[in-house]
Amino acid sequence: MELDAISQPELEQIERVGNADLVIGIFDLEHQEDGSTAVAMTRDALAELSMPLRAIVVCHNGSHSPAATTPEGTGDDRSPIVSSCSLPLPGSAETPLQSVSNAYRRVFAVGSKLGVRACGVIASGNRDATRQWIYRLIQPVLDLGFDFVAPCYTRQKMEGLLNRNVLSPLHRALYGEQLENPMGPDFGLSGKLLQRILGQDSARRGGSEHNVLAAIASAAACGGFQVCETHLGVRTQRPTDWGNLSTLLAEVLGATFVEMEGRAAHWQSIRGSKTLPRFGSPEASPPDTGTVDVHGMIESFQLGTQNLQDVWGLILPPTTLLELKRLSRVPENQFRIPDHLWVRIVYDFALGHRLRTISRDHLLRSITPLYLGWIASYALEMQTAGLAEVDSRIERLSKAYEDNKSYLVSRWRWPDRFNP
Amino acid sequence: MTKMLSQLASLLPGILALVTALLVSVLIAWALSAILRRSLAGFEFDRRVSQWGLPAVAEWSPSSSPTLLVTRAIAWIIILMGFLIGILAFDGALPSQFVVRLFTYLPDVMTAIVVLVAGSIIARFLARSVLIGAVNMNLQYARLLSVGVKWLVTVLAVTIALERLGIGGGIIRLAFGILFGGIVLALALAVGLGSKDLVSRSLERETSKTSSTNMKEPVGHL
Repeated sequence: MELDAISQPELEQIERVGNADLVIGIFDLEHQEDGSTAVAMTRDALAELSMPLRAIVVCHNGSHSPAATTPEGTGDDRSPIVSSCSLPLPGSAETPLQSVSNAYRRVFAVGSKLGVRACGVIASGNRDATRQWIYRLIQPVLDLGFDFVAPCYTRQKMEGLLNRNVLSPLHRALYGEQLENPMGPDFGLSGKLLQRILGQDSARRGGSEHNVLAAIASAAACGGFQVCETHLGVRTQRPTDWGNLSTLLAEVLGATFVEMEGRAAHWQSIRGSKTLPRFGSPEASPPDTGTVDVHGMIESFQLGTQNLQDVWGLILPPTTLLELKRLSRVPENQFRIPDHLWVRIVYDFALGHRLRTISRDHLLRSITPLYLGWIASYALEMQTAGLAEVDSRIERLSKAYEDNKSYLVSRWRWPDRFNP
Repeated sequence: MTKMLSQLASLLPGILALVTALLVSVLIAWALSAILRRSLAGFEFDRRVSQWGLPAVAEWSPSSSPTLLVTRAIAWIIILMGFLIGILAFDGALPSQFVVRLFTYLPDVMTAIVVLVAGSIIARFLARSVLIGAVNMNLQYARLLSVGVKWLVTVLAVTIALERLGIGGGIIRLAFGILFGGIVLALALAVGLGSKDLVSRSLERETSKTSSTNMKEPVGHL
């Protein structure tokens, strides 16, 4: 149990609660508010469930008001009893992903301390939808016996690109489960899975790159837990910080690759993938806004191809380098990165990360021009496409990840011998 | 002639002692390096060196093997020590003074070697960091910046090493000042010229952001 994730004042707050069936974490880091709104929303959401429950809401608002811990109910025997507990705001040195990961760790620790049956976490701030989201993430765990509920969001075609082009197809190829958002960040979990993740997390916390957010879906897949997805609707998207794109990529891919390395024994034997039960119905997508600056992305790709050959040469095989060089000379309107090339680049970077061919930070940051090149290629291809075409395009890419898995496995097992 | 022969004969025991010392040291060096090579191979030293983030050591090593580098360095140090001990066997104050001075100089030589090796590793690491960072910032002068940083650190390391060895004195300091200043000026110009585009791009982005605050950016990553 990772109780070191919680400080003494918070522990006292939790001890006052005693026990609970459910822990709900709400990290609305941009709109700090007191716990009363979160408690009310949770009570409304739980009232829709078939059984009376005791729940604790963990908010990240930084206050330690003891009054907030008082259990609140409506007086009716069948109404849910909800108390709240507040945890400190993230440190200024933490990146957004680190703060979400640490907040997750704290919520899990609270859940473990109280021996909860289920846990729900809402990490994307959309206050209007939080009540429904809590219900949709928790209900499959409590009523249907699932261990892990992953989110499905309604997105425009150029949203969630890292998820669509790397994280989701990579998770599908590695673990054989077709999850749309393996890194959430909004999840529902059973107490059993929560305990498993906490146990694995405390064993691995020595590594600075370990991120609990990246470990949830893979722990569920490798542990034989019951997994499903639920439609949550439109997710509030933070504006892209182009200046720090390489930091985001390094953080997300670093955590994913660490997870991949830790579970290599499991995923090497998996072939193909299966669809998962999906609850709810998708919302209509809002119309596309703005235009994508493809020119700037291709320019970044070309600059990378000119200057990073020495670095990429340590990670990528010569055939890939040749193809990249050829692509850097192609006119902008014909610029397309083939699926198999992109997939092998991702796999080679994962292998380079494992072998520590160069400093891991250098390796992860040097993928940025390649990622921008891929995004530009995808944007050009999907310029006039509708959502159905986007879905079939992503399906084709995911198949390419699955088809090239034998390449990954061969290189992973014999990195020196198998180098095309 | 007789005098010369008797002087040569008086040197013979010293030469014999030197050859013996050398032979013994070669034997010890060979045995020790064999044991060390085996233990380092068992410890997977080559793999661990790159795991510790020091792949530059492998690039520097013979046959790209840090194990070979370490074992060869230790063998040569032992042979050198044997040679110096052998020299001490000669009669007279001159050889002993030479050896004593050499021994007092040895720590400086070792420090200089360490500084040079560390300087080279740091230079490569920083050059790569700057190159990747500058490419990600879309700076056209990324390679120039990276080479500049590499030379900056290398010049600094060489100067420290030479100063430690007591070679050059004032001239080295002067040359270092000129070189260091030159590189810094070149880098400042490169950054200034290179970031012109960057600043204008970022200003453009800011302007478009304020002029269309209601327009949502279509690209999202997570």
